[in-house]
Amino acid sequence: MPLLQMTGVDKRFGQVAALTGVDFSLEAGEVHALVGENGAGKSTLMKILAGVQSPDAGSMTLAGQTVRFHGVDEAQAHGVVMVYQELALVPSLSVAENLFLGKLPRVVGYRDLYARARGPLAQVELDLDPAGEVARLGIGERQLLEIARALAREGRILVLDEPTAALSSSESERLFAIIEKVKASGVGMVYISHRLEEVFRIADRVTVLRDGRLVGTRVVADTTADEIVQLMVGKSVRRYQRSPRETGEALGTFEAAGPGLEPLSIALEAGEIVGLAGVIGSGRERILPTLFGLEGTASWAGDPVRSPRDAIREGILLVPSDRKAQGLVMELTVQENVSLTTLSRLQRLGFMDARREREQTRTWIDRLSLRPPEPHKPVRELSGGNQQKVVVAKSLATEPTVLLLDEPTRGVDVGARAELYDVIDGLSRRGLGLLLSSSDTEELIGLSDRILVFRGGRVTTELRPPFDYEEVVAHVTGARQLA
Amino acid sequence: MSLARVNWREVFARFGLVMALVALIVILSLLSDRFLTASNVVNVLRQISINAIIACGMTVVIIGRGIDLSVGSLLALTGVVGAGLAVGGLPAGLAVLVAMALGTALGTFNGLFVAYAGIAPFIVTLAGLTIFRGAALAYTDGRPISGLPPLFMTLGYGTFLGLPVPIWIMLGFLLVTHVILRYTALGRAVYAIGGNEEAARLSGIPVRRVQAFTFAYSGLAAALAAMVLTGRLNSAQPSAGVMFELDAIAAVVVGGTSLFGGRGGVFGTLVGALIIGVINNGMNLLNVPSFYQQIVKGGVILAALLIERLVATRRT
Repeated sequence: MPLLQMTGVDKRFGQVAALTGVDFSLEAGEVHALVGENGAGKSTLMKILAGVQSPDAGSMTLAGQTVRFHGVDEAQAHGVVMVYQELALVPSLSVAENLFLGKLPRVVGYRDLYARARGPLAQVELDLDPAGEVARLGIGERQLLEIARALAREGRILVLDEPTAALSSSESERLFAIIEKVKASGVGMVYISHRLEEVFRIADRVTVLRDGRLVGTRVVADTTADEIVQLMVGKSVRRYQRSPRETGEALGTFEAAGPGLEPLSIALEAGEIVGLAGVIGSGRERILPTLFGLEGTASWAGDPVRSPRDAIREGILLVPSDRKAQGLVMELTVQENVSLTTLSRLQRLGFMDARREREQTRTWIDRLSLRPPEPHKPVRELSGGNQQKVVVAKSLATEPTVLLLDEPTRGVDVGARAELYDVIDGLSRRGLGLLLSSSDTEELIGLSDRILVFRGGRVTTELRPPFDYEEVVAHVTGARQLA
Repeated sequence: MSLARVNWREVFARFGLVMALVALIVILSLLSDRFLTASNVVNVLRQISINAIIACGMTVVIIGRGIDLSVGSLLALTGVVGAGLAVGGLPAGLAVLVAMALGTALGTFNGLFVAYAGIAPFIVTLAGLTIFRGAALAYTDGRPISGLPPLFMTLGYGTFLGLPVPIWIMLGFLLVTHVILRYTALGRAVYAIGGNEEAARLSGIPVRRVQAFTFAYSGLAAALAAMVLTGRLNSAQPSAGVMFELDAIAAVVVGGTSLFGGRGGVFGTLVGALIIGVINNGMNLLNVPSFYQQIVKGGVILAALLIERLVATRRT
């Protein structure tokens, strides 16, 4: 009897089917890897397992007993614990307090608490002072501490969500050793990862999801990286492919270096779209913030870029990955957001030129076909796709020469996505140079003139069209290195 | 959406404040026949003028997601310096200008610490609160400055077109602040920073400069209020303005400006100051003991915040 059996799990979000009839099982003492491209449904499935979300249909049994969780507490009471990739520790509290957070006795006896902490710490071979502050721990130690915390909660099923994303290779090695050990004690683990070499290193079985459906479960010893990549990619119909383009004149060259990013340079032509691919932790996610002057050091065409203001002066604009946190002022209207980057141009003696501001907004609402085409609507009330158009409009209002697109379609529904692709294509045809950083392979292939693949903080491969979907995924996941 | 259906929540969010003020006025005019007389209305307006002027500056700071606790002490310091210079022989007009420049400079001092040293506004201006008070006491040796030139008398007691000068100053400053907030690039930047500092920074807005400006403006407002108060008292007191920061913050918050920044405006602040002023005035007319007045005032502030909270959470 398996430790966990999920059968026929369905989950819809509005019109979107996130999961359709997915089966998943886990044995005691097994590491079961869950892979698939972004949006395949991995996180949703695990959220259902951990009681964060409830399924629309399907059943779940733990050791043969049917269960239905109505919250994280209930799942934890049954021994199902999530180990999140964004680490859920309180840095200002001690190691021991973090271990028992939420399970602390009403009156905390520290001597007792510290003594009790030694057990779980020993299980993950962490030689830490239970009284020490978590803030002083490295990221690798914190990850192990999270596993210890899950074990302290008597977790029988652990869900590890991309646990190595932020770890160095030696920290990852240490983690793998601990996973082996925990496994030997009979705990079952679900291992979500984009890195196939890890899957082949530590997993017993691997399940592939695609577009919310189960496409296959394989015993790792009986399969190959190529087969897994094929399952991940499928025979998907390419939804978007932009038509070829003439080469343009050189615009300039980016030079950049920074934490988690080895020195690199990227030359950009007018009208060129350079795709940046790589898993989280590969350095790919750092490159655009670095080029925009937010971290590390960067220069464009020989001029240093030390701040967003420097970048904007050079004609470089960023469409940030998190539009709510970084892109928009939600309280303000469409027009006020579009004007944010051009306040100095829209003023005369300090006063906003209402007519020019209105015209500028009108222009961008029309060009990007914003819906509703209403300049005075608070951006808070727009759909995700239209909010993203406002971020793009805001950037384009400065008439930049280079646009940095960081995950431009994250959280955007399929229809609005195609529209954004047309917008991006149109920008290239007007002579802009674009860098497109994305975790969506389909998007990269559909839009890019060339794709730079990042691994370990540097560009390891440069791919040129015609792109082969499988080949791109193989490079990004590291399957190519396994073959 | 049908036109006939009235969205009461929207109406309430937009006009709730004014409705509350009107309701208060109606109730008080029923309770006391002295309340709704021309002289009492002018009286209320004059009484709130100093708080409203300070609160204009506070509104700008709070929209930019800051807070300024130093305004009461800053008022005392700029008041005694202005009065001291005037008594010492500087032409009165010039002394007033110097005092206002000093207020702006002290506000900038706060602003630089907040914007460039990254210290929380609460802490910086708390330090300012004691530093400026100490400086005012040191400058005067703890004694009030009197024997002021007639200009101060005009600021405090003059009338223009039948209305007291302090009311004109309040209305003028209110208008200037409104224009800055609504019609200038600077004002837009204040809203953007208060609403989402990171997005403002990534849009190339000079976030730190704008933050420093908001505190400078609050310093200017406090200095202007100091001139009016000095005129009203016909002397400058180093102990003036104690707890004024709380009245100003109360007016801003009751007036619907969000303490989380990015939202609000100066007309709401005027209504907030009026609500507080009307309550004070009404309780005086009804002979409510002053100890109880404080309790009622605090209750009103809590109620206003609670209502704002309810409206805000429904929205998201």
